[in-house]
Amino acid sequence: MIKLDRRLILNFDWTLFLLVLIISGIGLLNIYSAGFSLTNLHQAPLHIKQIQWILVGFVGMALAFFIDYRFLNRHAYIIYGISVMLLFVVFTVGYTTRGSQRWIAIGGFTFQPSELVKLTIILALANYFDSHRIGRGYHLTELFIPFLILIVPFSFILKQPDLGTGLILLILFLSMVFFIGLEWKSLLIAATGGLILTPVGWFFLKDYQRERILTFFSPERDPLGSGYHIIQSMIAVGSGGIFGKGFLKGSQTQLKFLPEQQTDFIFSVFAEEWGFLGGIVLLTLYLLLILWGLKIINQSRDYPGALIAFGITMLIFWEVFINIGMVLGILPVVGIPLPFLSYGGSSMVVLMTASGLLMNISVRRFILQSS
Amino acid sequence: MRKIDDRLDGYDPGQFKHKFKLLLLIVAVALSLLVIRLWYVQVIKGDELRQRSENNSVRLRKIKPIRGLIMDDSRRVLVDNQPSFALIVIPHRTKETGKVIEKIKELYTERSLTVPSLASLPGRVKPFASVLLERNISMEKLAVVETHALELPGVVTEVTPIRQYLNGEMTAQIIGFTGEVSRDDLDRNTALRLAPGDIIGKFGIEKFLDSHLRGKSGAEQIEINVAGKEVRSIGRIPAVLGDNVVLTIDSALQEAAWTAVGNRAGAVAVLDPRNGAVLALVSSPSFDPNLFNGGISTDDWENLSNDPRFPMENRSISGQYPPGSTYKPVVAAAALEEGLITPETTFYCNGRFELGNRIFRCWQEKGHGNVNLHRAIVQSCDVYFYNLGKLLGVDRIATYARAFGLGAPLGIDLLREKGGLIPTKQWKLSRFRQPWQLGETISLAIGQGYNLVTPLQLANAYATLANGGTLYRPRLVKQLESSDGRVVKVFQPEKQGVLPVRPQNIQLINQGLWGVVNEMGGTGNVLKRKEQDVCGKTGTAQVIGLPQDAKERKLKRVSANFRDHALFVCFAPYGNPEIAVAVILENAGHGGSAAAPVARKVIDTYFARNKMTQTQQPTKAQGAATDVPGRPMP
Repeated sequence: MIKLDRRLILNFDWTLFLLVLIISGIGLLNIYSAGFSLTNLHQAPLHIKQIQWILVGFVGMALAFFIDYRFLNRHAYIIYGISVMLLFVVFTVGYTTRGSQRWIAIGGFTFQPSELVKLTIILALANYFDSHRIGRGYHLTELFIPFLILIVPFSFILKQPDLGTGLILLILFLSMVFFIGLEWKSLLIAATGGLILTPVGWFFLKDYQRERILTFFSPERDPLGSGYHIIQSMIAVGSGGIFGKGFLKGSQTQLKFLPEQQTDFIFSVFAEEWGFLGGIVLLTLYLLLILWGLKIINQSRDYPGALIAFGITMLIFWEVFINIGMVLGILPVVGIPLPFLSYGGSSMVVLMTASGLLMNISVRRFILQSS
Repeated sequence: MRKIDDRLDGYDPGQFKHKFKLLLLIVAVALSLLVIRLWYVQVIKGDELRQRSENNSVRLRKIKPIRGLIMDDSRRVLVDNQPSFALIVIPHRTKETGKVIEKIKELYTERSLTVPSLASLPGRVKPFASVLLERNISMEKLAVVETHALELPGVVTEVTPIRQYLNGEMTAQIIGFTGEVSRDDLDRNTALRLAPGDIIGKFGIEKFLDSHLRGKSGAEQIEINVAGKEVRSIGRIPAVLGDNVVLTIDSALQEAAWTAVGNRAGAVAVLDPRNGAVLALVSSPSFDPNLFNGGISTDDWENLSNDPRFPMENRSISGQYPPGSTYKPVVAAAALEEGLITPETTFYCNGRFELGNRIFRCWQEKGHGNVNLHRAIVQSCDVYFYNLGKLLGVDRIATYARAFGLGAPLGIDLLREKGGLIPTKQWKLSRFRQPWQLGETISLAIGQGYNLVTPLQLANAYATLANGGTLYRPRLVKQLESSDGRVVKVFQPEKQGVLPVRPQNIQLINQGLWGVVNEMGGTGNVLKRKEQDVCGKTGTAQVIGLPQDAKERKLKRVSANFRDHALFVCFAPYGNPEIAVAVILENAGHGGSAAAPVARKVIDTYFARNKMTQTQQPTKAQGAATDVPGRPMP
């Protein structure tokens, strides 16, 4: 299972490793700034906690790198099952903040199994599609099992309630189905079905979730609630201008106009202090990361490797797009973290583990080739 | 485990080639969209937004609402709000919050004032945000803090309203108290939009009607300059004051019952049989709800929660007692309605009832002789009811008991109401895995055994007899009013059922109950007024099964904890009842001598006051002070 092959080190994917390191480093500086003006009475400062999580993330990354991904793929259902069970645990004994039950506490740290599910669902779907290769587009009926794989954690997560994570799972599922290919008639049915179901889904949303979506279209609906978030976020980003206000100098950030800015709205801190140029640099780094992911898919030597790499790349891409789009006011406010930048352990550890897996796939193409 | 080999699995890497172009396109479009938007916000709108960030930084400040008042039936205020001082620290204004807090504690200790515990100190604080240290500080503490202001940077005092419970212990069980929202409440009730530091109802009506009483927070948009100083208020959404609650409670009756019970443990429930309105609900011993203002001290809390007399339990709705002889009318109604007896049917009582080798005694050792229904009720003959029990069987008794509202919560407007227990064969089988014994039915017929009722259920069951057979839901809330006096909601009487007993049979039982109070030899003569208008029933409930041997029985009765509970239930006036009263005094002995005088006080208070209003009615101005609106005169 773990074979310390010399080739793993020789062909190590330094590009990917450095990209993750640089973006996480930027994130750390940024979190330092977000927590800079907070008075810590009896809690460790935000950046110290984030460093601890990054260290845990390295362990996850190393594990995901050294364990052959085909071994993980073979046991994908078990891994997926465990993560769904954790979701269930959250449901029964979970720790609740601001009304949604998402966390479980492990020795002083809290962990969000829903973040983990983002990765395990990719493994489970990749495993299914790998063992059900049919060489043509799939019919809707052939997607019943994958749909089940989606719907179990999806319904748990919506119940928490966590609209953002639910959305990401749905998008990951759709992306993977698009990638392996859908038969055109099925595509047509699915598309019309989706169009019809959207208004139905509306009724299943919680009041506050509907309110957020309505507020997105007109922020003035709720100037004290989520409209306030959007307005303050725009002021913070906009006031950064081309060159930004400088590190630790963002007045909007330091005076805490935006509550909980260090998590989902972390990009507004970055944009205020580093400006448009900083934003371009950051987006370029993300673009490189995504392109590198696409390269790994393209070069991978087996089907499950390609599918897993695709899932992880899409996870990063969609989270970046939706999160920044939300901060910039072109997408509704949903709780999705910005990969490697947002404060929060679960997302950090899971994404570092995911990039370890990506490196794993990237490196093993040399091993697979040579034998 | 399958061996992992390093071969390709028939996968063609070129399979996805055609999808890559599309993927690249999607990524490119999405990221370009972000760049374009970033350009728009930061460069095109940049100057404008920068202006706003410098000059017009808006922050929200919550405006807390003021809780509604709670009033009695005649709009006398029972719970008011009064200003109090809260001690607050702004960590951003002092670099050493810990030291400042230590300094305060030091100052308090020097003057031997109680030192507050600061369990809720948050981990991180935003710039210029304040942290509550202590609510409702005393004038002494206020003086200490003000005089040492220079040594306490960042510490300020703030005026906030707190609850004032004007009747203290007397209504504590009904009205309850408030407290700071707990972490648990915050997490579970997000729909309520609570925030840490908010005050919510924790007990009694304060809790039951919390969503109405609390009101809605408002918010103020405050402009703050770059240094974090407040410049001006831009706009505000005012807080919505909480609704006022008008209870059905009649303070005069509440006070009469409370005083009559004194420091004994027990409960009184008073109802209007015509509509189910709860006129008084007393539970003793009680507690002072004002202790909870500003957070109860650890000592006070320990004292309350460890008190062996359970002052925090509302005995009137959650105390469960054997009904004793007050249960007899239920058994009589069942036997009459089932056609097992007529009013003339007699049983002979020689003081004992034998079943197999067991002997069940009548409370009258000499026996009552030949007893018919009326005499059996008036003199509370046990042997008569043992015979009815044997005829009826446990399950038929249970059916009628349930129809009287026993055995399940009645749904009063309070939490933690208990349902009591009405046993059946099935119940015993599933609870103890043992078949029902006929002997148990015999005890049951005189209200002993597994039977348990709450004082409220007893009052309600007798109210049902009083009004001719209609079971109402006991209501504690009369109406809700907005702070400007507009009526928001009026609670109407709610019928919950009709007794499956014919009017003539109810009439027979009520005649018996009239005799208990007004005839020679009746057990409830304490209630005999010159109007002769009260119907009632005494009860004496054994706390534990007493030994058969007479000597041992006497010995055990002496020890206080094993003494019987005294019960009395009544309604008046006969014919057109307006009031039903149930009294239970724990370990107080006989119902007729211990509990009946309490009921008498309540009945007398009710009619004395009504007579007064009647005579005063012509002079409107005087009448307003004591008039009870909405109650028709007898």
